[in-house]
Amino acid sequence: MKSIATLLLAFCRWCNGSFFGHGIRDSVWLFPFVEIFHLVALGMLGGCVLLLNMRLLGMRFRGAPVAALARELRPWMIGSIAVMLISGFLLFSTEAVKMYGNWAFQLKMGALLAALAFTFTIHLKVTTSEEARFSALWRSATAVVSILLWAAVALGGRAIGYVTTSAASVQ
Amino acid sequence: MSFLAWLHDTAFGTVMRESTWAEPIVETIHVLTLSVFLGFVLLLDLRLLDLGMRRRPVSQLFHELNPGLFGGFAVMVVTGLMLFSGDPVAFYSTLFFKLKMIMLVLAGVNVLLFNATLGRRLPEWDRGSHTPRGAKVAGIVSLVLWVGIVAAGRGIAYALPPP
Repeated sequence: MKSIATLLLAFCRWCNGSFFGHGIRDSVWLFPFVEIFHLVALGMLGGCVLLLNMRLLGMRFRGAPVAALARELRPWMIGSIAVMLISGFLLFSTEAVKMYGNWAFQLKMGALLAALAFTFTIHLKVTTSEEARFSALWRSATAVVSILLWAAVALGGRAIGYVTTSAASVQ
Repeated sequence: MSFLAWLHDTAFGTVMRESTWAEPIVETIHVLTLSVFLGFVLLLDLRLLDLGMRRRPVSQLFHELNPGLFGGFAVMVVTGLMLFSGDPVAFYSTLFFKLKMIMLVLAGVNVLLFNATLGRRLPEWDRGSHTPRGAKVAGIVSLVLWVGIVAAGRGIAYALPPP
């Protein structure tokens, strides 16, 4: 466990010192510019995730099969996840060591790993299979877990700004 | 300006300004609602542009997304006004706030124009995979304006003096 922590901290240090970490930190406009990509992709992802889960819950698009809606939304969902991961990594690299000690950031990354794992395994299976394969209860539970996991990621992200840790406190 | 000063001094504005939790909670609701509303708007715009969800009739997409769009917009207007009331003079003094309000009005005009023209004749064209030019224009205008509104909204937070 300790060696993983050491490795992560070394990675954060490397990010801080990398050309993109430096470049974005030193520029007045680059950080907000990357942030806009992060925010717009967040909107797209949030919209797609909620829409698909509302379908699983039987609230929207009742006339369309879940699998058809999932297929139509997938490119936009995967695209926005990719944009969020890339822009998020760039934003992170400007203050990576600070983030290492930020509990909101740790929470967000934990929730993100869980949300991604869930989305590409159970959620994918339930949304692409024939509806009769899973009971209504099982489908609803999948939707609720998906919404909660992604909401935790968003809330963790929102909290990062409010949690202030000084880089000096991390040795 | 007197309206801004009045809003600033209302009990409501004072709570938004002085409470530790009011501002973070309201702002979180504003941003979380945005993160769904924006997606719904973009999905509609992409459909109008022939880029996404092409197999669905436009009218079906409108029908399914409208409650979320109206509800989300209402929540954002209310929470936005709450945030604004905390320090109306400072908000109003930023260029980003003025830009955001102008773009919001333009986005509204875009919706009204669309509804008054092509929106009235949806059954005539909404099943085809090729949308009319007017629909594409409405889609791209909406897309650009909403990205601009989000960017300007983020800009306000940078332009405001730190609390």
